Parts: sequence; C-alpha cells; structure tokens
Amino acid sequence: MKFKTRHFSLLLFVLLLILSSSVTIAQDTTLTMLTHWGTEDQLAAQQTIIDAYMAENPDVAIELVTVDFGELRTKIITGRTAGISADVYHFYHLWLPDFVNAGVLAEPPQDSLSYIDENVAQGTIDAVSTPDGQTWGYPTEVNPYLLVYNKRLLAEAGYEAPPANWEELKEIAAAITQVDDTGAISQVGVGVMPGWDSGIVHPFSALLFSNGGNYLSEDRTVAEFNSAEGVETLQLYADLVASGGTDPSINGLGDFPSGTVGMVIMAPWWRATLRAAEGIDFDTEVGVAEIPVGPSGDAPSSIAYTWLFAVDSNSPNKPAAWDFIHWMNAEHEAGAGSAIGDFLVNALGAIPSFDHDQAAFAESMSDHYVSAFVAASAYARPEQIVAGGQEIKTLLQVEIEAVLAGMTTPEDALASVEMQANAILEEQRMMAEE
Amino acid sequence: MLMSSHASKTAWWLPEIPKSALMRRRMLWAYVFVSAPIFALLVFLLGPILFSGWVSLHRWDMLSPVSDMPWRGLSNYSYLLTKDPVFLKSLGNTFLFAIGGVGANTVLGLGFALLLNSRIRGRTIWRVLYFMPVITAPLALAVMFSFIFNRNYGVVNNVITAFGLPRQPFLSGPSQALMTLVFIAIYQYVGYYIVIFLAGLQGIPQDYYDAAQVDGAGKWQEFRFITLPLLRPVMLFVVVTNTIGALQVFDLVFATTGGAPANSSMTVVLHMYNTAFKFSRMGRASAMAFILFAIIMLITIAQVRLLRDRTYQD
Repeated sequence: MKFKTRHFSLLLFVLLLILSSSVTIAQDTTLTMLTHWGTEDQLAAQQTIIDAYMAENPDVAIELVTVDFGELRTKIITGRTAGISADVYHFYHLWLPDFVNAGVLAEPPQDSLSYIDENVAQGTIDAVSTPDGQTWGYPTEVNPYLLVYNKRLLAEAGYEAPPANWEELKEIAAAITQVDDTGAISQVGVGVMPGWDSGIVHPFSALLFSNGGNYLSEDRTVAEFNSAEGVETLQLYADLVASGGTDPSINGLGDFPSGTVGMVIMAPWWRATLRAAEGIDFDTEVGVAEIPVGPSGDAPSSIAYTWLFAVDSNSPNKPAAWDFIHWMNAEHEAGAGSAIGDFLVNALGAIPSFDHDQAAFAESMSDHYVSAFVAASAYARPEQIVAGGQEIKTLLQVEIEAVLAGMTTPEDALASVEMQANAILEEQRMMAEE
Repeated sequence: MLMSSHASKTAWWLPEIPKSALMRRRMLWAYVFVSAPIFALLVFLLGPILFSGWVSLHRWDMLSPVSDMPWRGLSNYSYLLTKDPVFLKSLGNTFLFAIGGVGANTVLGLGFALLLNSRIRGRTIWRVLYFMPVITAPLALAVMFSFIFNRNYGVVNNVITAFGLPRQPFLSGPSQALMTLVFIAIYQYVGYYIVIFLAGLQGIPQDYYDAAQVDGAGKWQEFRFITLPLLRPVMLFVVVTNTIGALQVFDLVFATTGGAPANSSMTVVLHMYNTAFKFSRMGRASAMAFILFAIIMLITIAQVRLLRDRTYQD
C-alpha cells in the first residue's frame, strides 16, 4: 500500500511536470512591457493590442506592467538593479542619454531602423537618437505645447479672442481672476502646475522660445536660458503673480477641467481628460491657440517632447521584443494605421510619430483641439535631450516655483540654475571622456 | 556549570564543546537556529550598509554595473557639505521638523496621558480617538490635510476668515509649509506617545503619591518630584525614538508638498530619494544617508546621556 502510494505520487509529479512543460512549450517566450499608461481605459486598450499580437504569435506571452509617470524612471532603475527589468520600455526621451550612457538599451535591428527612417519625420527621429546618429527605438507620441483656454471664462471677462502677446496675456489673466471678500480665489486667469517638472518647465520653455530665447546651446554643452529673453520670460510669471493673473495655490492641471482656470499651456494628450471633464464643455468651451509672443520674439513658437519604445539590453528575448514593438507600430493594412497609432490618437489624443498613422487617423486628429497641435508640431522645437537633463529640468522647476512664490527674483533664479546646469553638463562631459 | 564540567577545553574564542552527545546535538541545533537571523542580519542589514558606504565613495547611476563605478573618494561628502544648497536647506528643515515635532509630541503626549490617566468620563473612548490617527495610512492623512489646509476652499481657512483673519497659504506658502507639516505629524503620532506615557504613568506605584499626600505635597509637587523623575526612562524612549523618526521623515512630505514650494519643505530623506532615483546619483544619496546616520547617532548619544544620567542620579 505504502509502495503504491509512493509510486502514485511520483506518477502525479511526472504528469504535473509534463503538463507544466507543455504550457511552456506553448508559450516559450514571455515578454514584459513597462508603460505609464495606467488608467482603466488605457489598460484595456493596451491589452487589446497585446491580445491581438498573442493571437497571431501563440509562442509569445506578453505581460503588461504600468506605473505612474512619476515613478516610471525609478521603476526602470530599480528593476534593472534588482535584475528584474522589463524587456520592452516605453519612456520619455529626455532620459535617453542617461540610459544609453549606462548601457540600458539594446540597439534596434537594421530592418527596424530602416522602417523608422522611411516612415518618421527626421526631427522626430532626432528626438530619439543620440548625437552620434544612433536611433534607439520607435518614437511614439509627439507632444507640442499650446495655449489651451476656456472660451466661456474669456467671454465673461470681455474677451472673444485668446491673447496673441504677453501684454494681452497679462491683461486677460487679470480680468479673469476672481477673488472674494475673504481672499479666496474662485477662478484664476492663468493656471500653473507646481510640483510637476514638465508642467512647469515645458510651458516656460514654450514661452521662452516664443520670446526668441533658447534652452541649451545648439551643441547642448551650455545652458542658455539665463538670457535677456529668459529673464523676461520669468518676469512674466512674476508679473502675473503680482497682478493676480495667476496663483500657485490654483493648479492648472486639476482646476482647468473643473472650469475655474482661464488659460493653461498644455499638450494634446490632455484631450481625454478634457472630454470627460464636468466643469468645461470640450466641444464648445475649450479653445486652443498659439503660444503668445513675447516682447523679444517675432513669432509664436513652442516645445515638443517625444516618447519611444525600446528594448532592455539585458533582455534574453531581444529579437522577440523588437518584433513585438515593430508589430505594434507598423501598418499591416494600407491606410489602416498601426495599433499604437490608433491607441495614441483615439485613447490619448496624442499625435503619432509615424507618417502612416498621421494619414490614417487624420480625421480623428481633425477636431478643433488636436488639429491645432498637429499644426504646431510643424514648427515646435524638440526638447533638447542631454545626459543629466532630468536634473537640470528639476532645478529649473524649483527656481520657477521660487519666483512664483515670491522667494527670489527672475535674475537670481536663472543665474542659480545656469550655474548648476553648466556644472552638470561639464560633469557629464567629463564622465563621457573617462 | 553543568555544561562547563562536561566541556572540553578549546580556544578562548570558540564555544566550549560539551562531551555529552545529547548536549552537543542540542548545541548544534542552537547554533543552527541562531545562524538564521544572524545570516539575515548580515545579508539584509550589515551588507547593504557596507555596500552603501562603498557606493558613497563613488559615482553610480544604479544603471551601470557596480564594477564600473568611478571612484570619487570623499567628493560626494564635500559636495554635500559645501556646494549643495538643497542638502543644507533640507538639513535645516529636517532639524526644524524634528525640534517642533519632538517637542510638541513630548509635551502634548505627556499632557494628554496625564488627563487620560485621571478619572475622566469616557476615558476609553478618548484613548481610542487619540490613537486612531496612528493606525491611519500616512498617505490618506496627507491627502486629507491637503484639502483641510487648502488656501482657497480648505476648512481651516474658512474658520480663520470667519473670525476676520486673513486667509493663509499653509502648505502652498514657503514660510508656512514646513510648520503645517509639523502640525500634521503631531496629529498623526501624538496618540502613540500618549499610549507610551500612559504605560509609564500606570507603572508608578500609588504608594509614592499616598506618602507625598501624607507629607502635604500638592499636585504640582507630586508631578515635579514623583511623576517626572520616574517617567524619565519613558521620556528617554519617547524623545529618542521620536527624534530618529522625525529626522527620517519622508512619506508625509512626499505625499503633501513633495518638498515644494521651492524646497521650502524639502527634508533630507526626500532629497536623498530624489537624488538617488530621479537624478541617478546613488553615490551622493548614499553619502547623504551616512551624514544623516552620523547626525542621528550623535543626537541619540547626547539624548541618552542627558536623560539617562539624570535618571540614575534621581
């Protein structure tokens, strides 16, 4: 009896082993994809893409991991340190130089590079390439910044058209702001986004470029925001605070959708949020305009940032990972666009990088909101990426917030960041030479 | 004694091996059981401490292999102490947070404990109410207080303005953000220290108070000459643990202000987190950890000496 039980257990164990190995044979490659698209709708849309790929490729299993944007870089870093990195990353292109210097990324195969070259505008390719010309992944969303305004609040303040220059911006902002007898601000002219580096630095850069200024030098070795144009830009923030046109206690990101902010400088991917907003009607009340031109500028300009899909250099399944990324971004049927293009345009409201997606989803991008950003993407300047760029951006964010809080002057703020930024750029240069 | 009589003589640093097989087996198992936590301590505590000490002497982005870390000597330490304005600012903020938090928690904790130790109505309910914030998730508290202290629609400002006082920025004001955080921390932790002080108060024998009353001592004299001296060991525990916790504050600041506005509420551990994970400077972040460790150690030694000596003296 004892003998039989032992043999039965052994038989059961062997059967289980065979069963588990047959499952492994069925899906012998498992890829992990890390993204920051984590809302319920976004998760469902991504899963649909993944399911479609797995149906076509039954030997590949894909696991989707999402984290909030604020934790994405940390997740990538700690995942690699712990030896549990994802195979496929979708990340912000500002981090590209840091990741490349540290050997995080695998070089794309030649056929992927050729496909990108043939189907993406050169400016966007440059945004996901290092200065040596190496492209590191498939570019996805292109996000230029524009002035998004509440038509109803502008009309109530007596203005039919959005501001075209900074004087008009200040005037309209002050007219929109409403403060009650107790000092409570019920609505504000311009909404800033303290606590979020992109929410502070990207609008600043858009205004700086529209005032004829630069962020870094063309060769990206020296900070150039501490210029007469830069000081004028930051002075605009100080003036807006002084006139009541803005207040850091009102957050544009959260309060514009509730209908209490007149104007914000934002990106196209906000469309989904604005469509769902209860405080503002997307179709009739949300307006989009070019960035107002500063006193030293001669035409509206803007900044645009990009994201990309890339593969971890530690991935044991690099060919499969690149195949999956290519499948998501490629157009499988003429005129149908790619799976990611569909997701970017219809789930996010972002502008896709690939020409075939811009053509296939032209109608979806033709609404009054996204169409303005599509037009701006033609002239918006790509965010300059450089090793240490994230640190410089955060330093600038803190100093802009200090000006908003009345803790420092525009001159002192920019001088302080310039000194620290140049030290970081110098250090990165020396590191590269080591 | 029994063991030593059956043990054979070995080197001084080796354990004496019993001659009895049973004792040897028991000894072996004892070492097996003891080795598990020692191994865990070495791997999960001492190892990481030594590793981060090593990292603090390098430049490491956490992405490159450890073997490729460029040597930086003490430059991370000198940079922090001489060139990093955010570190010095965060150090100052952390001290202010600790001084405010520890002082208030100690005084309020003791005060409320004295009240709750007396025969007041609904004593158990009061104890539960004071302890509830301790078991509330810090992030939930942070979100709640962000609404309560909102400049434009927060309930605190509504009360203030109802009395004709001007509206205050609280968490969004550079001069008020840190002190508002201190207030939230007091709300969060005072219940814990009330419980500790209560346990200390209930450990003081009633005989002392009876004898003092016979001698004609008043309430203040009872507190000054009986309660306070006999509570000093508890006081030592409260002050030391509260100081260590306050100097390591992270979650509350991370969830409410994130160090804003303009680093006015930045603390050392939050700056350490940003430096490590946002700027990929693990060497500099490790150096911060060691500087903070040295500060905490010095303060703890001073506190222990100050309070312990007096306790023994009394």
